[in-house]
Amino acid sequence: MHKIADVEIQHDIMVANKKLAQRNQRILDKANVFSVDVLGAIGSGKTSLIELLIKKSDEKVGVIAGDVISKFDAGRFQQYDIPVVGLNTGKECHLDAHLVEHAIEDMPLDEIDTLYIENVGNLICPVDFDLGSHMRMVVISVSEGDDTVEKHPLIFKDADLVVINKIDIADAVGADAEKMVKDAKYLNPDVKIIKSSLKTEEGLDEIIKAIKEFRDNI
Amino acid sequence: MHELSMADAIVKTVLDVAEKNQAEEILEVTIEVGKLTMLNPEQLRFLLDVLKENTLLEGAEIIIEEIPVEIKCLSCGYAGSTNLDDSDHYLMIVKCPECDERNLEIVTGQECNVKNIRIEKPE
Repeated sequence: MHKIADVEIQHDIMVANKKLAQRNQRILDKANVFSVDVLGAIGSGKTSLIELLIKKSDEKVGVIAGDVISKFDAGRFQQYDIPVVGLNTGKECHLDAHLVEHAIEDMPLDEIDTLYIENVGNLICPVDFDLGSHMRMVVISVSEGDDTVEKHPLIFKDADLVVINKIDIADAVGADAEKMVKDAKYLNPDVKIIKSSLKTEEGLDEIIKAIKEFRDNI
Repeated sequence: MHELSMADAIVKTVLDVAEKNQAEEILEVTIEVGKLTMLNPEQLRFLLDVLKENTLLEGAEIIIEEIPVEIKCLSCGYAGSTNLDDSDHYLMIVKCPECDERNLEIVTGQECNVKNIRIEKPE
């Protein structure tokens, strides 16, 4: 004989990710490592910004380089002779706390003070997945269109720092960088917003200062 | 394509619980998906249908319940639903419908919860 039974599960996948993220942060805190989740669209300048932060910063930096299938970004960071862990998601459009947990295991935390986690280029999927980083930095560029912020409200609502890059070509691509600033401020009144051109290094000192101030205020 | 990793996690969770409860068949699965997640319920359903083949879930009905967005306003204390105008999805996370302030906390709408299953098991 068989019977029908209802079984209560109540297992929230988002909550499970959040718990793993909190564990990641505890591991980083214990090692006294400050971490930044670097989010943004494809081609907005995430990798270039991290490269500049490695070169200009007086901190000992490590990088987890997330990518769908390639090792290109990890290769770019390796030339600076710093600890780099390449993290291929395979088919996924975002990093999650579980993947980052494994990457942290491979990262020599005692050799670094700051860990940049470069997420997969995407303004949508990473929103759902906290990684356990202390700070969320979103990098966008004017060439994605000046409606990028209003079209992706959630990623900006949770950001601690927004970098609007490539402002030197705003006129050429017909984008209004001030509109992007205004939209980000509307969504997230307290967020720090910096306009930059990573090619000319305009705004870079301000970004370094903003990250440092955020770290000091934790 | 993050519906795939979610669908995979859902299937693993369900099969694990079903096995622990000596299920011989899973008849029904109920999943709650928050309206603020970046998950498309139809894509999620498609991938669950693909992943459930050749498992105890094969014949199960998948029920996806959408969880509305509820907010708490830290300025005026309002708690409840918000303006759900799909043409301007800004509003629902940004402005309190009572006082127009933007100091909000999201209470519900961010779930991907495996709520329950109905199974057939030996007496």
